[in-house]
Amino acid sequence: MNQNEKFQLRTETQEGRCIVYLSGELDLDSASQLRAAMAPLMELTDRELILNLRDLKYIDSTGIGIFVSVLKARHAKNAPFEVEAIPPGIRKLFDMTGITSFLTKS
Amino acid sequence: MTAEEKITLRLPAKSDYLDLIRLTLYGVATKVGFTYEEIEDMKVAVSEACNNAVLYAYAGRADSEPAGEMEVSFLRAGEALSIVVRDEGDSFDAASVAQRAEPLHGKSIHDIQAGGLGLYLMQALMDEVEVRSEKGTEVVLTKRLVKSGEMA
Repeated sequence: MNQNEKFQLRTETQEGRCIVYLSGELDLDSASQLRAAMAPLMELTDRELILNLRDLKYIDSTGIGIFVSVLKARHAKNAPFEVEAIPPGIRKLFDMTGITSFLTKS
Repeated sequence: MTAEEKITLRLPAKSDYLDLIRLTLYGVATKVGFTYEEIEDMKVAVSEACNNAVLYAYAGRADSEPAGEMEVSFLRAGEALSIVVRDEGDSFDAASVAQRAEPLHGKSIHDIQAGGLGLYLMQALMDEVEVRSEKGTEVVLTKRLVKSGEMA
């Protein structure tokens, strides 16, 4: 808790879906890592793109901004995109900024 | 940490040091007596202020010039903690940013954009936010200590 956790991501490709697991702290410093990893995945319009945040410990407007740009790019291609397993602390920031309904189903 | 005492970090305005600022904030805020959740809120708000310093304060500088610096100070003021983030770079237009500081509620997917969310989050997560732009930019973020039993 009082120890910062390095940002990491792991991609799992299944038939019909691509899940990216994010962990650690997503800040301005680690943002480029996520942007680089997402760029090729955004083009895969034949499968669902999912970001799993279960082990994500920290996010700020930098990370939220990346989610917004992925969301818009996927929407423009008419390709499915969703964010799942949102921890309560991060969900609070999503609700505050008003992005929750854009990122989750129903 | 008693009133009148001040802790200051002075560091290069680079993103590699943001984790160090969050760690220091965690230590100081714990000492002052904030809860885990309050500290998480402050972490985001302070990072937003520092992100601005890293991204915009020295954007006009050539790579050959020495890196600009930012200063993060922690001040105990009565029953509150103020965190002051200061840079000596190009002042950003706080007034125009403040106008854009709004959440995305009720917007359509075509109209949403992330710009302005940083300042909005600072305002939403702290009790007081003050932005001063003179020589460089100074952001003062204040959170009050709410003793248990005083909760609404």
